[in-house]
Amino acid sequence: MSSINLTLKIWRQHNSDALGNLETYDLDNVHTDMSFLEMLDILNEKLTKEGKEPVAFDHDCREGICGMCGAVIDGVAHGPEKEVTLCQLHMRNFSKGDTIVIEPFRSRAFPVKKDLLVDRSALDRIIQSGGYVSVNTGGTPDGNSLPIPSSNAELAMDAAACIGCGACVASCPNGAAMLFTSAKISQLALLPQGHAERQQRALSMVAQMDEEGFGNCTNAKECEAVCPKGISIRNIARLNKEYLFAALTEG
Amino acid sequence: MWFVRFLSSSIGKKLIMATTGLLLLLFLCTHVAGNATIYMSSEVFQGYADELHSHPLIVIVFSTIFLLIFLAHIGMGLFLFYQNWQVSKSRYSVTTRVVKNTFSSETMPYTGLIILTFLIVHIFSFTFSSSEVPISVTVKELLSGFFYGLFYIVSFIALAFHLNHGFWSMLQTFGLNHPRYNDAISKLTLILPLFFLILFAGIPLYFMTGLGASY
Repeated sequence: MSSINLTLKIWRQHNSDALGNLETYDLDNVHTDMSFLEMLDILNEKLTKEGKEPVAFDHDCREGICGMCGAVIDGVAHGPEKEVTLCQLHMRNFSKGDTIVIEPFRSRAFPVKKDLLVDRSALDRIIQSGGYVSVNTGGTPDGNSLPIPSSNAELAMDAAACIGCGACVASCPNGAAMLFTSAKISQLALLPQGHAERQQRALSMVAQMDEEGFGNCTNAKECEAVCPKGISIRNIARLNKEYLFAALTEG
Repeated sequence: MWFVRFLSSSIGKKLIMATTGLLLLLFLCTHVAGNATIYMSSEVFQGYADELHSHPLIVIVFSTIFLLIFLAHIGMGLFLFYQNWQVSKSRYSVTTRVVKNTFSSETMPYTGLIILTFLIVHIFSFTFSSSEVPISVTVKELLSGFFYGLFYIVSFIALAFHLNHGFWSMLQTFGLNHPRYNDAISKLTLILPLFFLILFAGIPLYFMTGLGASY
């Protein structure tokens, strides 16, 4: 196990109304086997001992599946490693003497609550506007009574891998939530259970997405590149189709 | 009204851009076909121009439709540019683009504005040019000039970059993103802009280099 010395520039902001700024901290002997959040834990211990305010950041499962953690590391959401969340990013991706700039996920729809902690409930409200099945689908059907092509099931599962961390919004040059919304729409649109409310779902979720103040998609593909779950922008194409069809028939 | 709601939604606006973009692409196809006659001879080109303008109604109706499409494309484009600029200004102290080759997508509004400038110059030079001088003569006179020719070439390079992102982006907005077609689409995002670049920018080069001396 080797250890490295780091200079951290972290966004500190007391609350939503306060003006924030980047503060510089030196952290020595960071083990390269630590995760990024463990590194922040060590920093917070140090800050606490010094009588300073620890850095607030979101985290929960710390195994890359809950979607709570996330920050922008040197301009990249979830940091330099592909398809991992911040908690699964390890310090071996950094070198001795590196300066790391850590900023919160930013979007007009994500107000900063404190330091690296942002309010992502706008994404929840998109789900609440239609990202579910509410029709009565009856009891448990017999096996194979509802045939679903394997490819569709796989595509739906790929879309359902979205953990709603918000990295797509944070990395989008326009702060659009299209990758998130498209994944949530795709996982249902691809399966027969989702078909009953398909059009209404597309209309309501897109309307809510616009209302929350997310930007427009300009097909810059940044979301796909940083997504910790590798959600493809093919879902965005599907959302565009879903929305067009819904608007023309039920809008 | 469902129509207004649809068109004012974020995806609706993108669909306006994509639809008008497709129509403008089709216009480019007809325009480049006519222009290609310049490579034959001045007589062929003049013949094409005279034939086209012997049906003034076709020209007027076509121009009006084109103007409306173009106004929708540029108006909506500028509006989206403004909206996106509002969302994206001063977000991070460090910004890193992970996607490679983002030049075309990042410069869409700027290449678009270069094309608009070009269009204004082009219309005033050719569409509203003196009807006394035959168009085949005007073409050679103007495009033989170094700065005028260079301006045209730069504009067509901007058009190529605009199409490079625009063509793929249009299909993505229409929902066409499928592993079966993605290879072909990614090839077309290069072939299509190059096709227009060679045929359009070839004309000022043809005259500037003296190849078109016997035109």
